Amino acid sequence: MSRFFRRRKFCRFTAEGVKEIDYKDLDTLKQYVSETGKIVPSRITGTKAKYQRQLATAVKRARYLALLPYTDAHN
Amino acid sequence: MRHYEVVFMVHPDQSEQVPGMIERYSAVITKDGGTVHRLEDWGRRQLAYHINKIHKAHYVMMNVEATNEAMEELTTTFRYNDAVIRNLVIRRDEAVLEESLLMKAEREDKERKARYQERNDNDARKAAATAETADSSSEEAAESAADSEAASEE
Repeated sequence: MSRFFRRRKFCRFTAEGVKEIDYKDLDTLKQYVSETGKIVPSRITGTKAKYQRQLATAVKRARYLALLPYTDAHN
Repeated sequence: MRHYEVVFMVHPDQSEQVPGMIERYSAVITKDGGTVHRLEDWGRRQLAYHINKIHKAHYVMMNVEATNEAMEELTTTFRYNDAVIRNLVIRRDEAVLEESLLMKAEREDKERKARYQERNDNDARKAAATAETADSSSEEAAESAADSEAASEE
């Protein structure tokens, strides 16, 4: 019996009708990256598969350009 | 001709060369009949992690429409230029003209800071006048907030 009501997950990109996730949009990307720098799975965030794929490439591009860290163990 | 987005990072010590490099690379693209649609100089930015013991780099982004040969030439010059630490070339479907989100975020951040500073100055003046009354009311508000929080937990 689940007494707690879990908040309904929803895909923010679908809701906003985003055309393409940009690797330069760091404020958005940071919301989908954990504290350790990992990409948060869509099963947690509720992001639709189409956008999760775009998100993954965007994060990886941002990482390559050192806009986002690969891990928190750098330095 | 295709649309591309090029980002390259320049060693911070070679930062002065950036205007010259931009000019040279633009010439490479335009000489083949291509166009530079958007050019942004992000300036020196802190890196998220160190690259070759460097903590900062000068970023430049350009959205171009160019031939395959011009792009080939561009990437080889990147490879043989020691000042360029990293470069990223991605294909785009169309020309992008508006300000990039990264620049936008930075500009807004600056504006917000300026506004915050202004407000702080104003507040400091106001606070001096209404210090006593504000103190008592804010304490009450904090108490009632704590009460309602406890109620929702039960």
